[in-house]
Amino acid sequence: MRHSSVRARRLAAVSVSLAVAAGAVACGPEDNDAKASSGGADAKPAKGGTLTVLNSNPQQDFDPARLYTSGGGNVPSLVFRTLTTRNREDGAEGSKVVPDLATDTGRPSENATVWTYTLKKGLTYEDGSAITSADIKYGIERSFAAELSGGAPYLRDWLIGGADYQGPYKDKKGLESIETPDERTIVFRLNKPEGEFPYLATQTQFAPVPKAKDTGTKYEEHPVSSGPYKVVENENDGERLTLERNTHWSASTDAERKAYPDKIDVRSGLDSSVINQRLSSSQGTDAAAVTTDTNLGPAELAKVSGDKELAARVGTGHFGYTNYIAFNPKVKPFDDPKVRQAISYAVDRSSVINAAGGSSLAEAATTYLPNQKSFGYTPYDHFPAGKSGNAAKAKELLKEAGHAKGLTVTLTHSNAKDFETSPEIATAIQDALKKAGITVKLQGLEDNDYSDKIHNARTEPGFFLAHWGADWPSGGPFLAPIFDGRQIVKDGANFNTGFLDDKSVNAEIDAINKLTDLDEAATRWGALDKKIGEQALTVPLFHPVYKRLYGKDVKNIVISDWTGVLDISQVSVK
Amino acid sequence: MSDVLIASQAPGGTDLSVPPGASGARQFWRRLRAQRAALVAAGVVALLVLVALAAPLLTAIEGQDPTTYHPDLIDSARGGVPIGSFGGISGEHWLGVEPQTGRDLFARLVYGARVSLGVALAATVVQIVIGVVVGVAAALGTRWVDQLLSRFTDIIVAMPLMIMSLALLAIVPSSFPRPVLVAGVIGLIAWGNIAKIVRAQTLTLKGLDYVSAARLSGWGTWRIARRELLPGLAAPVITYAAILIPQNITVEAALSFLGVGMKPPTPSWGQMLTAADVWYQAAPQYLLLPAGALFVTVLALTVLGDGVRTALDPRAASRLRVGTGRRREAKVASVTAAASVTTATSAVSATSVASVTGASGASGESGESGGAAQGGAS
Repeated sequence: MRHSSVRARRLAAVSVSLAVAAGAVACGPEDNDAKASSGGADAKPAKGGTLTVLNSNPQQDFDPARLYTSGGGNVPSLVFRTLTTRNREDGAEGSKVVPDLATDTGRPSENATVWTYTLKKGLTYEDGSAITSADIKYGIERSFAAELSGGAPYLRDWLIGGADYQGPYKDKKGLESIETPDERTIVFRLNKPEGEFPYLATQTQFAPVPKAKDTGTKYEEHPVSSGPYKVVENENDGERLTLERNTHWSASTDAERKAYPDKIDVRSGLDSSVINQRLSSSQGTDAAAVTTDTNLGPAELAKVSGDKELAARVGTGHFGYTNYIAFNPKVKPFDDPKVRQAISYAVDRSSVINAAGGSSLAEAATTYLPNQKSFGYTPYDHFPAGKSGNAAKAKELLKEAGHAKGLTVTLTHSNAKDFETSPEIATAIQDALKKAGITVKLQGLEDNDYSDKIHNARTEPGFFLAHWGADWPSGGPFLAPIFDGRQIVKDGANFNTGFLDDKSVNAEIDAINKLTDLDEAATRWGALDKKIGEQALTVPLFHPVYKRLYGKDVKNIVISDWTGVLDISQVSVK
Repeated sequence: MSDVLIASQAPGGTDLSVPPGASGARQFWRRLRAQRAALVAAGVVALLVLVALAAPLLTAIEGQDPTTYHPDLIDSARGGVPIGSFGGISGEHWLGVEPQTGRDLFARLVYGARVSLGVALAATVVQIVIGVVVGVAAALGTRWVDQLLSRFTDIIVAMPLMIMSLALLAIVPSSFPRPVLVAGVIGLIAWGNIAKIVRAQTLTLKGLDYVSAARLSGWGTWRIARRELLPGLAAPVITYAAILIPQNITVEAALSFLGVGMKPPTPSWGQMLTAADVWYQAAPQYLLLPAGALFVTVLALTVLGDGVRTALDPRAASRLRVGTGRRREAKVASVTAAASVTTATSAVSATSVASVTGASGASGESGESGGAAQGGAS
């Protein structure tokens, strides 16, 4: 019950569009074509020039307290430095957490309930004044103020006293669970062990905010920069954001951000087809342009892949995300594990993948966890459907379950045109299940209605399309909200859609949260995923692959597995 | 023209007000045949109806069906674009296959014709039934009934069709049969204009001698409406129906395009358009096929509707006879059908008909006749 509906909504929003909101970046060394292009005639990145960012979503509420990011975001991370940050490397290396303002990723004590950080020396804001640990504490406290809502719920859930704290404007005393014994030290006291605290410390709430410069809700118009760029203009709540070099930022204290361009011009509110069209023609300033929120769709990929020059300008990335079928075991006939297993066997993943954009935009999933090491990916396929479904095995199971004459069920999906929970995917499943004697009726709902229905314990349908993405690349935020029995919410937003309340699962989640060795934790998350998978509460369908175009003058493409998209802090346009 | 003008100004003679019976129908066909564009359009419409009715047969000849996936015919690594030239056109798939699924486009197109034509026809029937009932009731009822029904009709006319349909279709549970629902919703929202026309025409007919005679001889209102008024309403109603059908096709396509019309996997042209709009560069035929089908259907029906209107309009007929060597016939026709049809047409042209048909390709003549009717009235 500790989930307020606000939290639920935030999580829902994130699970739907985390990649978009996060706006992290990456470059694509795993993509040979991308390398070839970025390593063209003069591949060496150099300082100077203006990088244009063409986006559909504006950088709304550009206040570190209000941004909901994964790893500090892409554009926000240029302005806001945080205690820790993402490792700006390609692929799997990029899903590691590394120090940013702090000297290390945090020192745990008292069973991972106390985390201590020390700030680097010589850190300054855009006006040259020094960054202190009190500013970081103040920045976090601000995010508790009701008028600055929008961030992730973890701080409120984890910090002692966080649930009742009203923010520094109402409660001048501050949060006692954040201590600043000196100007460079900050200590966090948590109400339970959280071995993944270093991942949380990448979010923008951990950016310093000087109390004297805080203008409350107006702070977003000109937040004080600690990063390589400062905001010189913010039009229409982040629709157009102009960033220029912060001369007080020093590369000697920042090992992650390269900051090659002199100026960054973020233009938002563009239609995704317009963005891809402009990037492909790459005319004028668009030659030095990238996007941090727009993927290539199937039709655009078909066109781009037929053109060598364009294909060389595509960055490929993986983001930890799973699209799946979810069952509500309280609804008949899905209370019968055999029915759930039959559907697992009958699913044709190749037609689902085609509906999602084809093998270049989606990879088959048989595990709930994304297929990356940092999540603890442990391969399993408990109900092997093969590439295109095992209708015979499904029929056999249905017969055992007493449905020898077949079965009629309703599949609920969203009408959003997102190739994730959309009608195309539902139709592909309908077609595959027909072969196993299961008649699927489709119930398409308007996207908000769909989201409300599936996250309400009382209205949750029995059989629906769902997707989940985590706030950081680990098994914890992937498994706990969905399978921890103590997180079932009867009134309000519920994410444990399978209503799993298994003592051994709950205990294992607690045990892993105590681990501070993230590799060991990952292995245990993977094993837990495999065990939960046996219950067939979900049918994993596919993990998305991101393909993004960039302009012809763009060099030094880095795409991490944390974000799956090109990291603009690494890009050079000269 | 003079005899027509006289007729419309003095619709009193009993011999002029004979409702169009069997001979009227023959005249109508003759006049319709005289218009080449309408004939071609009628041929196209007949072909489309035939295709829609024979959809299972046609796809059986092709050896395909509209819902089977063919993953082997698309290039999954390239976003699911059809393999082969022109969207994978082959002996087995006459119009190629759909990107991302490999479903047969010919089968989806001909089955889509069933939805487009079926829903549009059903919606038109609903509109006409409601429109005629409300229109006649308003004209024959007491002042209160007339006021009530007319204001209600005004409200219906003022309601934005697309927005109302979106709202209605969004709240009805998805278990309700979709084609019936879509046809019903379009029908229930867009009957206002036809009710207004019917009311105006009924009021005119009501003043004619043969209706007065019927009333004086003791006939009840219902019997008068059925026996004396409805035949006289046939011409304007048929004319307006011919205009409503293509409109309804467009509305169904738009609703399906917006995701609230027909539901997958039922193929419909509007739904094909919405799936195809992003593919216009990579697989243009996917977009062009439903767009072309919709264009041809709506154009043919509009031209045909215009032809029907012209054929039922005695003034247009009098112009038709010029140079056709059918002077005598046309004169006879104008005499038999003049009173009822003329008044009907002036009511029709005074509303939206002239503007609607005036926009279509073969409507120079009807545009003129609309002007003539207004000139005559002034």
